[in-house]
Amino acid sequence: MTNAELWDKRRSDYWTMAVRYLRLIGNSGFLFTIYLLFVFGSYYYGQFLQWLPETFPAVIFFTLVFTWLTTRGRVRTFFKQGDLIFLTPLEGKLSAYIRSSIRYSWMMETFWLTLSMLILAPLFFDRLSETGTSFILILLLLSGLKLWNLAAGFEEQRVLDRKQYTNHTFLRAGLNAVAVYALFSQQPWWLFAFIAGALIIFYIGYYRAIARTYSLKWERLVEIENQTVMTFYRVANSFTDVPSLKSKIRFRRWLNPLYNLVSFEQKNVYKYMFARSFFRANDYFGIFLRLTIIGGLFISIVELDWGRWLVAALFAYMTALQIETLKNHYDTSQMVDLYPLQTENKQAGHKFWIVFLGIIQSLIFGITASLTYGAGQGLIILALSLAVYSYHLMVRLPKKYETLSRS
Amino acid sequence: MSELLDVRQISGGYQKNKPVLHNVSFSVHPNEMVGLIGLNGAGKSTTIKHILGLMEPHEGQVRILGKTMAENKTDYRQNLAYIPETPLLYEEMTLWEHLELTAMAYGLEKEVFEVRANRLLKEFRMTKMAKWFPSHFSKGMRQKVMIMSAFLIRPSIYIADEPFVGLDPIGIKSFLDRMLELREEGCGILMSTHILATAEKYCDRFLFLHQGKIILQGTMDELQAQAKMPGADLDDIYVEMTKEDRHD
Repeated sequence: MTNAELWDKRRSDYWTMAVRYLRLIGNSGFLFTIYLLFVFGSYYYGQFLQWLPETFPAVIFFTLVFTWLTTRGRVRTFFKQGDLIFLTPLEGKLSAYIRSSIRYSWMMETFWLTLSMLILAPLFFDRLSETGTSFILILLLLSGLKLWNLAAGFEEQRVLDRKQYTNHTFLRAGLNAVAVYALFSQQPWWLFAFIAGALIIFYIGYYRAIARTYSLKWERLVEIENQTVMTFYRVANSFTDVPSLKSKIRFRRWLNPLYNLVSFEQKNVYKYMFARSFFRANDYFGIFLRLTIIGGLFISIVELDWGRWLVAALFAYMTALQIETLKNHYDTSQMVDLYPLQTENKQAGHKFWIVFLGIIQSLIFGITASLTYGAGQGLIILALSLAVYSYHLMVRLPKKYETLSRS
Repeated sequence: MSELLDVRQISGGYQKNKPVLHNVSFSVHPNEMVGLIGLNGAGKSTTIKHILGLMEPHEGQVRILGKTMAENKTDYRQNLAYIPETPLLYEEMTLWEHLELTAMAYGLEKEVFEVRANRLLKEFRMTKMAKWFPSHFSKGMRQKVMIMSAFLIRPSIYIADEPFVGLDPIGIKSFLDRMLELREEGCGILMSTHILATAEKYCDRFLFLHQGKIILQGTMDELQAQAKMPGADLDDIYVEMTKEDRHD
């Protein structure tokens, strides 16, 4: 297998996996949420632009956003742990593989640049320029700058020393800031030609020299690859279970007092375990927190009564779905199977935390609504959220548990 | 009761038509440490999984204190502690929480748990690490967590699968000393290992498992007699017994 074929295989393997998850995401009501966001969003966007004072430094704002977007992100190589042993001997012969990686990453990153530009387009046309030509031209030049960053960033990865490596990234950020500022403040064309020329010369003179002196830092490349995959898994995990997600544990010591809710008794074993997995593992708690905050935010800004009710119910339901996945957390653990316990303990432990978290979230939603729209609205929102959780507990969960014990 | 663990003529494996174990029988009595010895792939882990009740045998029965798992699942498990080959820890729990959880799961009293846990932490030199999470542990420390959890619950029978891997010399000594103590108290221990010199020194009896069958079992003297190798050590007997089919 040539290394170009190897690359193609790695990429298609990844996408076969990714498409499977994307399909699940598409089926999970996500598109509907996006549509909802789009409807609400476009309404508030126009209002927001009118409210935004004339003095708003739009150029600086665009410069900050796109400096960050061009600097961030690294070349995806699809390298795996095993390559540290099996591919390292071929290091000198991998240039086709690496070129493909850079091209691929460029394509993906250009997609994100385009998406960001489209989201910011109303602001752009309102404040910076009214012509579509300059919009497209800027987008093309940004994409070119991104390519330069990916190529330079790839060589930069060869520098082992952590501090120097970060310094290189900062250096690129500085150069990007200058170039992006020039773009959005719409400087004359010869300045772009000059910047582009300077960057190319810098790349050839400096980064190529790094490439000749230092070898690939394989562990770092694998780490970059793993992070990319993990990000995807984490996003996918908000919609469905991702079994291969082994995310970091967050200790969150400040939550330790909560564990006192569970007393030292045999029947509380699962309560004890689910408490720790919920607050520390897989970011269940992070998702709960985010959904609660975003939900609360929407509840406080949506002025339509029924819109607010819908938002409360929707967010409560999404949160409940997330907490539901907690029940699978110990499915692959062999030690749990050995404990002298009944399965009813497990369901009781799981339910305990759904009830607890459901009440907390409903209270937060209710209080937010009563602060912004009065006590009456607060009560309605509280009742609605609690109703969603009760539906979940009494109708959905028993079915889920049933399929669980049958399998 | 004469037998703590009684494995009677079990055949089993992952697929019905391809059994890994063939008619395996042995038992472990109180005050006895039994060494389960075999090459990689001989069926040691499969045997252990059948004892733990993680797999059901195609034929035969496993009894603990005279009861099969089908008769009473919780009682069966209550009397059994397992030290796995690779430490199986919960990444989201501290060392102390692992011990506490184990104590809760096996129904220990809180006071009893605290006394035992502190003693174990001291003995395995882990007191300072009680509040640590597994991500900060070395392989040996992880293994110690499993060993401490097993000792904490004081069951009648211990199943240890390669317990020494990754342990430092002091850890190995604490582990073996504790095992001997438990044996004095009347526990039964089944230990699978590749470290034959240690096994020879500590175990009362040995089971040679080869290609899913027990090819030899007994005390050191009995093994020597059966293999017609008087005075030979465990290593030599083992190599001799598995020699023939290495040529074909």
